[in-house]
Amino acid sequence: MKRRLVLAILFLASCAWLHSIDSSLAETPDNQTPPASTEPPSAASPLHLPELQPHDRDDAVSLLGELRGIVSLSPQSPDDRLKLAEALYRIGDLDTAIDECRIAIALKPDHALAHLQLGRALMAKQDWRASVMELKEAARLNPELTQAHYNLGTAYYTTGNIKGAIQSYQQALELQPSFPDARYRLALVLKLAKRDQESAQFMEEAAANGIPQAQFFLGNAYRAGQGVTKSGTLAVYWWTNAAEFGHQPAASTLSILRRQALSPVQPEQNRLDALKAFQGYREKIWENFPDLARNGDSETLGTTLLKQNRTDHAVPVLLQECYAPSDMAQTELARLYETGWEPSLPPFDKKILACFEATAGEGFGPAKKILARIYGKGLGMKPDRQKAITAVRGLPKQDVKAVLDELSLQP
Amino acid sequence: MPDFAQSWRLFLQSVWLQAGAMGLGATVLALSLGALAPATFTALDWTAYDTWLRHRAPIPVSSALLLITRDHASETKFGTGPWDRAVLARFITAAHNSGAKAIGLDHRIALPSQAQLGGAASDALLLEATRTAGPVVYPYETESPLASEAMVLSHLLVSPSQDHVTRTVPLSTELGTASVPAFGLALYKLAQPQASQTGTIALVNYAGDGSLGNLPILSFAALWEALEAHHDEQLESWFTHKVVVFLPDPTPAATWLLPTGQSVSGAAIHLHLLNMLLTDNRVCRLGPLNSGLVTLLLASLVTWFLLHTGGSRSFLFAGAVVLVYGCLLVSALALAHLVLPLALPLSALALVFVGATIWTHLTAGQRMVLLERDMLRVQQEAVAVREALVLRENRAEALQEDLDQARAAVAQSTGLQQDLSRSAETLRTELADVQAQEEAARQQLQDLGRELAGLRAVTESSSKLGDAELEQLRDECRRLGIVTQNHHLLGLFRDLKKGAKSQLPALLLGEAGTGKELFARAIHLLSPRSGKPFIAVNMAAISPELFESELFGHVRGSFTGATMDRRGYFELAHHGTLFLDEIGDLRLEHQGKLLRVLQEKTFYRVGATTPTTVDVRVVAATNRDLQRGVSEGWFREDLYFRLKGLVFRLPPLQDRQDDIGLLAEHYLTGQALQLGREAPKLTQEALDALRQHEWTGNVRELRQCLEQAVALAERPLLTKHDLRLQPPTSTTSSDRARTPKILPEPAGDAAVLDCLRLNGFDMQATAKALGWDRSTVTQRLKGLCFQALVDTSGDKAQAAATLAGDPSLTRTVELKLMDYHDHLLATIQPFATVEEAMADCKRRFKNLPDRHFKSVETLVRQHFCANPADQTG
Repeated sequence: MKRRLVLAILFLASCAWLHSIDSSLAETPDNQTPPASTEPPSAASPLHLPELQPHDRDDAVSLLGELRGIVSLSPQSPDDRLKLAEALYRIGDLDTAIDECRIAIALKPDHALAHLQLGRALMAKQDWRASVMELKEAARLNPELTQAHYNLGTAYYTTGNIKGAIQSYQQALELQPSFPDARYRLALVLKLAKRDQESAQFMEEAAANGIPQAQFFLGNAYRAGQGVTKSGTLAVYWWTNAAEFGHQPAASTLSILRRQALSPVQPEQNRLDALKAFQGYREKIWENFPDLARNGDSETLGTTLLKQNRTDHAVPVLLQECYAPSDMAQTELARLYETGWEPSLPPFDKKILACFEATAGEGFGPAKKILARIYGKGLGMKPDRQKAITAVRGLPKQDVKAVLDELSLQP
Repeated sequence: MPDFAQSWRLFLQSVWLQAGAMGLGATVLALSLGALAPATFTALDWTAYDTWLRHRAPIPVSSALLLITRDHASETKFGTGPWDRAVLARFITAAHNSGAKAIGLDHRIALPSQAQLGGAASDALLLEATRTAGPVVYPYETESPLASEAMVLSHLLVSPSQDHVTRTVPLSTELGTASVPAFGLALYKLAQPQASQTGTIALVNYAGDGSLGNLPILSFAALWEALEAHHDEQLESWFTHKVVVFLPDPTPAATWLLPTGQSVSGAAIHLHLLNMLLTDNRVCRLGPLNSGLVTLLLASLVTWFLLHTGGSRSFLFAGAVVLVYGCLLVSALALAHLVLPLALPLSALALVFVGATIWTHLTAGQRMVLLERDMLRVQQEAVAVREALVLRENRAEALQEDLDQARAAVAQSTGLQQDLSRSAETLRTELADVQAQEEAARQQLQDLGRELAGLRAVTESSSKLGDAELEQLRDECRRLGIVTQNHHLLGLFRDLKKGAKSQLPALLLGEAGTGKELFARAIHLLSPRSGKPFIAVNMAAISPELFESELFGHVRGSFTGATMDRRGYFELAHHGTLFLDEIGDLRLEHQGKLLRVLQEKTFYRVGATTPTTVDVRVVAATNRDLQRGVSEGWFREDLYFRLKGLVFRLPPLQDRQDDIGLLAEHYLTGQALQLGREAPKLTQEALDALRQHEWTGNVRELRQCLEQAVALAERPLLTKHDLRLQPPTSTTSSDRARTPKILPEPAGDAAVLDCLRLNGFDMQATAKALGWDRSTVTQRLKGLCFQALVDTSGDKAQAAATLAGDPSLTRTVELKLMDYHDHLLATIQPFATVEEAMADCKRRFKNLPDRHFKSVETLVRQHFCANPADQTG
């Protein structure tokens, strides 16, 4: 029993360290979901150890025990020691991992992977200079080692060697062009080196490969016109993409932009620019459905898809348009919220309610009215008159009166 | 060299020059002291400012300033170490969107973010936020990979003083090739672009105790909550039109000590600078040059007071100046926020106090020499003017006589009346001119007299004595045989006591019987030579032929009667003191010999071939005015200056009335003791008589009078009668001066001569004193001159000396006498016989008393006898 309890604690600790190390390598600015690809895909890397692949929790613990046994049986085997170091690194025992790496290097000084593993462990220990030396050695011993170049780029950047970081990331990309995270990091470093155009190019490629951070920064670049032609529409487009991946800064930026578009106290030009950006976005998403023909301004993409009973696409698009923000989409979504769309959409969908709540909080009038009706009538919840009254705050008096009159008719 | 001497003289005479030079010297010395002990000096210099800063009412805090700082809640949320720059980016964006006027971020951007803190993504976000909100003020980094044009790089340097207290901030500094402004100043310029701030360094006016807690603060945690909750109104109330400074880095170890005693970071000091600029509560300080000038001015002023006023009053005035400066310093600080220097002026003033005292003592002797020289010069000028006056008087008299003759001629010849009238007019005009010149000369003489009196007053001034000191001096005097309680004499004794310790020769001046030898002995006894011989020599008593032998000694066979070697007075006084009494009576040729010995300390015995060297201190005394002797040529100037190392003027007994009772008691007791009798007492009447009596022989005469009274007295009480005081035989000069005697016409020539002598042979003054017409006095003097010429067989110098009585007047009389004689000769020149000449003389000198015509006739006869050729010619 005792042994099992210790193993369980060890397992939990390893999970925590794994998370932190992955975060450190991914360099997420806001502790959000790590990028889709923080390391080169294993298939594309013949040198990648199978042991480095994720394992189940039990596997990690049992693997560590097994590896210790192997090492005790064959202490002169650098590969076994390296495997043990890898396992130790994964559970967060960095000091022991470093020791094992050093023993492996002592046993076989030209072991590139041992140097790479030692460099990574030293990075985790924030010993950047030592890690640079080890990673450089790994890259020298095996110039084809993509991970060594990638990590060297990160280590170089942290020590302030921007030029070295750019070169390392470029080499990693040359070795493995399908490495979006390296592309994103190269774009970031180029941006910091004031090479905006190159940065925007790499950022766009990374964004297209689904890196939400890259999408967010690309949106920023379009808003400020850094390295690209200034475009509010594309900025909203890329922010929305990033926000869909759960990128919080992108969601916050969009929220601020919506407030800017909807707030009467904002400078008129800012308000108009924001409204124009959202409108452009609503038009741009039509490009995702080239088979559909626009019917003037009477319908949105979402309503058009809904008419065609393509509910799997219609609801997400309506939500996008609602966040855009669009009256028409809001109205349609309000209807869908009450009625649902059997069988794909049940009534009182939480995502739709969250959309109304968010846009109402940002000052979107139609969303406020809809939300007041939902609260007042108790659609999908218990009726709450007080919340309904609160929801309509900030609307013109006649609108408030109309909404409240409608609600007071209810029993 | 003459230029140097002249400059030195000018320097010694000008108190302002001395004050300026001493002030400058003190300032330079004070600066040097400051360089030697900079910490102490600086701490002292800032004492007033630091005290003011600690005890004044706190300055207001700008409502346009907002600091966002870490607190416990913030560290709970974002961690205790460095924070993710993405968070900072969000704060900056929020401040910008909420209308902040200027934004500053005290965050080091030297290195990129570590991977654990967001890495390049967070850096990029911060960069973007800075670009959006820019310009944003950041601390300067030498080579930051994150630096961008949207950043205003500023420094967080401070300028700690030598005492390790931080009061100032450099407003800009050269870092690399760029001029980097101060953090606080950069923010101020962003907030108020139109405002200007000049200078290179700013004195920070700290709010409260100088810590950050005195400035408006908001925590990051509170800001984050407002951001998360989208409390836009709250954000706007915090940020709109504000200068917002984010302080996200962990609080550094406090490294800078403030005058208030707080230890704060450099950023805190810069934020107080910003608050000072925003609230326009600036504090200024005089620069080094102005501080030096103020110090120089102050030191010079105090020196002037010390040198000019003298004594304890000078210290009072100087103290008042220091006090006034102290008040000025406090007022300037409180009212104008101007910090005046303290340490430099105080040090300079302390040096000035010491320096001025030393300087006064060091140069006292030299100033005295200069004063003496001035007196001498004035006396010489007076003599010259007096001579000129005599000549003009003579000319006026001659013209008067010519006028009289002309008038007579007019009476005799009406035909020539018109010409003669013109001549008379011309002569009258000339007479008026000459009289005007004479009056001017007289005026000049009076002015010179006043100047001389002023100079004498300066030399005679001495500091007042305290009672205790008086008592002590009195006792010391008594031990040395000097009986006095006279303040002036005691003051003189005090100076003598000081001077006795030096090796300088001393010169004692005073009338006979004033105690010159007593004081000479006192000098000897108070000097380091007291154990060595004291030899007193009366120079008037030495035979001129034996002068050298007596003073320098002789070797056997050097002259008849020199049967053995003999040591002179100089040798006898070797290592001791030689008192040369009556030095004023020394002949000119002997003066040179004496001078040589005094200069070289060596001499040759008479007949010796090898020199003898002696170490003798010479104390000379005389009752004659040696200054006048120098000006009139009967005393060598170089010897005079050689002798007058220390000069003491002993007052006559008349000026020591308060001593008469004391002296009387002393001598009565002494004499009675000698006679083995009980000391008699003086009645009040006798004492009054003693005091009223004119003691021309001074103390000596008083002593003789009392000794005689004791010897002859039969009673224990001496009355006025017992004193047997004789009325004065002749009118004293002082009495005569007070009550000019108006002599009747037949007054004797002796009385007229006395009056002339009294008035320095000034005809005008004598005529006024006698109540006569000036021409009458002139005729009387003329007669006396002719008589004297006859008495001395034509020796003009001797005749003049006889008439003058006082050697100082000889030259004046000689000039007059020569003029009268020349006039007489000119008058008789045209005549062939004595009779004709005498007839003309009688007409010419008709106002001359008849009794003097005998002398005229004798002179005329002598002339004709001596120059028979003239009769034929």
